Amino acid sequence: MNISAALHSDIFLTYLMVVGGVLAFAGTVLGVLTLAGRNVSSIWQTYRGWLVMVPVVLGTLFLGRTATIFGVALLAILGFKEYARATGLYEDWWLTGLVYLAILALAITSWMPDPRLGYPGWYGFFAALPAFVIGIIVMVPILRNRAKGQLQQVSLAVVGFLYFGWMFSHLGFLANAEHAYGYLLYLVFAVEINDVAAFTFGKLFGRHKLRENISPNKTIEGFVGAVAVSVVVPFLLWFSFPHFEPWHLVLTGLIVGIGGQLGDLVISYIKRDIGIKDMGTAIRGHGGILDRVDSMIFVAPIFFHVVRWIHGIR
Amino acid sequence: MIAWEYKPAPDIDQTLAEHLRNFPREPRLLEYALRFLAALLLRAWMRVYHRLRVEGLEHLPQQGSFVVVCNHTSHLDTLALLCAMPIKRIHRVFPAAAADYFFSSLPRSAVSAILINALPFERKLKGAESLTLCKTLLQNDGNILIIFPEGTRTTTGEMGRFRSGIGRLVVGSDLRVVPCHLEGGLKAWPKGRLLPRPRRLHLRIGESRQYQQLEPSQESVMAVCRDLEQRVAALGRSAS
Repeated sequence: MNISAALHSDIFLTYLMVVGGVLAFAGTVLGVLTLAGRNVSSIWQTYRGWLVMVPVVLGTLFLGRTATIFGVALLAILGFKEYARATGLYEDWWLTGLVYLAILALAITSWMPDPRLGYPGWYGFFAALPAFVIGIIVMVPILRNRAKGQLQQVSLAVVGFLYFGWMFSHLGFLANAEHAYGYLLYLVFAVEINDVAAFTFGKLFGRHKLRENISPNKTIEGFVGAVAVSVVVPFLLWFSFPHFEPWHLVLTGLIVGIGGQLGDLVISYIKRDIGIKDMGTAIRGHGGILDRVDSMIFVAPIFFHVVRWIHGIR
Repeated sequence: MIAWEYKPAPDIDQTLAEHLRNFPREPRLLEYALRFLAALLLRAWMRVYHRLRVEGLEHLPQQGSFVVVCNHTSHLDTLALLCAMPIKRIHRVFPAAAADYFFSSLPRSAVSAILINALPFERKLKGAESLTLCKTLLQNDGNILIIFPEGTRTTTGEMGRFRSGIGRLVVGSDLRVVPCHLEGGLKAWPKGRLLPRPRRLHLRIGESRQYQQLEPSQESVMAVCRDLEQRVAALGRSAS
């Protein structure tokens, strides 16, 4: 992945047109609704959020492998920061700073070449890093000679690192793959389509609550509809991974469809347990960063391992 | 099993602009790191570029909260005073800065709040509210408030009258007030100039004052202002 590869990649250019087309279409529909006198101001705000996010994401991928890996790491750090501020872990600057550094270390292992094999991306170290990081995190109370409340702090830090750091960073590691553009662009696009589908189906046909104690607005109809859409999407975007067989496409669709909504529910119960509505205010009309990337956190590592198993990253 | 108690950050639903404008600000890791780095760079720059000389450091109280008052000729006043304060207390030093100027846009707010650690002071409306903010700040132990009682930078070099705010803040309380005088600011960075010139700066710190024996009244407020005004002026005269 680099700038000239992006310019010569049919996959990248096709997605550029598809995403541009979708944004233009959505803008036109919103414009018509506004002219027709419907109140869509909150949707406009969400749409403006997309108009900022889409160029940032596509621009980062366009810049290449390094930008993508460190861009994902930055997103993971900001996401973890929101989680730390929401739970109160943030008051412990040593643990918070330690997790920041650990996420940076994930990016570095994703970026540097494997010393034995010479390929970009040292997967062995990347996969082993959690052992070292957890080892250091549980050592912090010993170094500080403190016991009171330490299990909670350490647990929050470990979950924060593993979930928001390590699992999410698999997205960055995908930048090392031969078919990086196809994988990354498909994932980003399909995960968002899945979110939109769940919302739309829920609004149109929602009758039965999916998990009323966690997220009262989600319905079984929305869930099923989104999974159905997500299973179809890989067939439409088959050019992203031409080496996939049809049942690989179904599997991929199920991962995005089910995993995406599970990721959403995970953030929902974290928020509900803490008692807050949004994880932050980073993106106007969307809430915090975690409110936007929640689905991807769950999907990225599972998709990564399916790809690795089918085809290998290199 | 007892459920965990979470403690979400109090400013979790504030946008960045709101967080920067609000006071007191919730401490943030990155901001502290940036402020510390800025303080180091500022100290180096002041020593090298302006040959800053500080006299009377021993007059700064070692413990407790106190107020610093100084004449106001340029933005360098704040920067020189920041450099004179112990670097260990850099996050507890709050220069009162005009909200209508230093917090008028997001980039300005970011510099004022993160690098300078400024307290947004409303000098036009809500002046009383801002004074209450200062009082609360000083009730917490170990905070340092920097105030320019003239209220604005001088353009002539003549020191303006001290406004009554400083008097109302300290009269009848055991707060210590440290008068200071900075010389050379007007030549180095006059109002209206974009960047400072390499001119010498000389900061004199006077003995701290206390006004707890005075009953709060209009006269004593004015007396405090005049007293501080004379102290600062005297520090300035001792130069020439």
